[in-house]
Amino acid sequence: MQAVSKVFRMDVVETHALKSFSLKVEPHEFVAITGPSGSGKTTFLNVAGLLEEFSSGQYLLDGKDVSRLKDDDRSRIRNEKIGFIFQSFNLIPDLNIYDNVEVPLHYRGINAADRRKRVGAALERVGLAQRMKHVPAQLSGGQQQRAAIARALAGDPRVILADEPTGNLDTTMSGQIMDLLEEINGAGTTILMVTHNPDLAMRAHRHIEIVDGQLAASRAGNRAAPVALGHAATVTPIGARQ
Amino acid sequence: MMLKHDFLLALRSFRRNPILTALMVSAIAAGIGAAMITITIYHARAGHPIWWKEDRLFAVALDNRGSDHTGEELQRHPEYPPDQLTFRDARALYRSDIPDRAVMMYRTGRVVDSGKPGVRPFGVFARLTTADFFPMFEVPMLYGTGWARVADTTPEPVVVLSKHLNDKLFNGANSVGRTVTLNGRQFRVLGVVDTWMPQPKYYDVTVGSFDVAEDLYIPFGWSTALQLQTWGSISCVTPDAKIGGFESLLTSDCVMLQYWVEISGAAKLRRFKQFVDNYTLDQKQYGRFVRPTNNYIVDIPTWLRLHDVIGDESRIEAVLALLFLAVCILNTVGLMLAKFLGAAPITGLRRALGASRKQIVRQHLTEVIVVAAAGGVIGLALARAGLWAIRVMTFIPGPDDSPDKRALAESLSHMDYRMVALAIAVSLLTGVLAGLYPAWRIGKAPPASFLKAQ
Repeated sequence: MQAVSKVFRMDVVETHALKSFSLKVEPHEFVAITGPSGSGKTTFLNVAGLLEEFSSGQYLLDGKDVSRLKDDDRSRIRNEKIGFIFQSFNLIPDLNIYDNVEVPLHYRGINAADRRKRVGAALERVGLAQRMKHVPAQLSGGQQQRAAIARALAGDPRVILADEPTGNLDTTMSGQIMDLLEEINGAGTTILMVTHNPDLAMRAHRHIEIVDGQLAASRAGNRAAPVALGHAATVTPIGARQ
Repeated sequence: MMLKHDFLLALRSFRRNPILTALMVSAIAAGIGAAMITITIYHARAGHPIWWKEDRLFAVALDNRGSDHTGEELQRHPEYPPDQLTFRDARALYRSDIPDRAVMMYRTGRVVDSGKPGVRPFGVFARLTTADFFPMFEVPMLYGTGWARVADTTPEPVVVLSKHLNDKLFNGANSVGRTVTLNGRQFRVLGVVDTWMPQPKYYDVTVGSFDVAEDLYIPFGWSTALQLQTWGSISCVTPDAKIGGFESLLTSDCVMLQYWVEISGAAKLRRFKQFVDNYTLDQKQYGRFVRPTNNYIVDIPTWLRLHDVIGDESRIEAVLALLFLAVCILNTVGLMLAKFLGAAPITGLRRALGASRKQIVRQHLTEVIVVAAAGGVIGLALARAGLWAIRVMTFIPGPDDSPDKRALAESLSHMDYRMVALAIAVSLLTGVLAGLYPAWRIGKAPPASFLKAQ
């Protein structure tokens, strides 16, 4: 992202959710994002996930400029390249786990046999293959979040955007989810994770802080830099407070 | 594949909200039911029973009214000429050889003596008509034929029976050549008409636009020979014309005959119109046709329109039912919008997972169309039940009713395949109309706004 700004206009009031925000995330990187409430973390994640358009600046995803795409193209890229994990899991309550994981694959037009294969593999990977016929209400919070991770993984995305994925979980479950995310990242998927927990943030390669819609700080986390990077992630700290 | 997926999502959505879904289905069913009842009745009344001869069949009406306009201010269309002809005018026009076929006729009645022991003589409606009636109106014959023109002039003692009367007198057997006794006089059966009930009964709308055909057809010549009075409508249209004895009807300005011609080709039609106008101009010298020339030679649709066969009631009912359907659609729009917005967070989630706006709109439209189809099927059943109830209320069977009367009641409230197809089309259109705005609205919202609400 290069000098991305996002302005919300309500009548005569303008709110600058992101102010000339620049950030470069390398492939296979695990970036933790922290910041106080209302600082623009979720807006950043929405913009990064092509869920919201931004007012100015440029955004390259996987080397392609996605700044001003039509809705159809944004949806397609979202479907093919981005996986979402939410704090409240966001599973569809009346679908069982198998069907929930299958949802994004439908929109990609993948045939039934391939869908079956992908859903099975994703559920196997998060350890929920035995519970695929359960509906979300029958699972614990940790299991629901693992199902949500399986849904994000099934589409084989380039990047996973996680918005406080452990926010609704106890410490043990949070640890398990982090282990799983680390394992996924280790397998090559880039992860951007918003969190309020500094300990979890430090488990990333890099920990950035957003304050008032700006990149306020960027520091290396405890996780060893991925082999592909060989060095700490590149950041363009425009307006950054170190 | 996506359609099946959308359909399954729709079913799942109904399970999630059964009461709201039932309300929407009921609203559409009520609207479709009411609309289909009135449209069916309207359609039955607006029928064109011999459309394939529309460019050849013409009704003839002459304006032989006197100069007195009293009472005309009460008429809806005082400019229209009387809808029947006098004896003398009909017979004068009948002499023209311009039309390919011509028919003058009126309804009368005869008493039939079956000769069967224990069966009392009974009265039937009969049509006194010239020979062209059968080929001109393409009357289907079960047995035999009609008569030749010569039988009108002699006249010959021949008759054509309706299927119902033939069933009654001869148990449905081929009665051609056998005799029937009408008012004590013997007539030979020339033919038997098969089931025939054109609706509207366009060839004689003066005694009701929707009625069964007569049970007996008699050559026109018997009109004067037996001095047969009309059992239909008669109207004296000049101040000095009075309904007196039969002889006076032959010369008075009392109209009582229907007159039809079959003419092929515009040139011939123009010639005939000229002939008719010349005739009425010629009659002015005898003090008749005092008004400016106002003769109508019109095709069947025009003729039915002039007589307002469909009627204001049917039209008003149809309009009210369509307005009711519109209200039902609006209700469904509201309910649908509430339902869609209630499920907006899930829609937002689907958008985040890669559903395009088009896919979301299509998914929601599929849901509305499934609701509309269910409403349409129930509405169709309601319409059938409603039409059955109307039939029961409007047709009270008598002990000696012709089956034609029952068939008439049924035909006027019959929902044919075209009506069923229309009902399906209307319900699907209703679905699209009711769902377009809610589906567009939910598809247009940015996905992030709903995710926040999740």
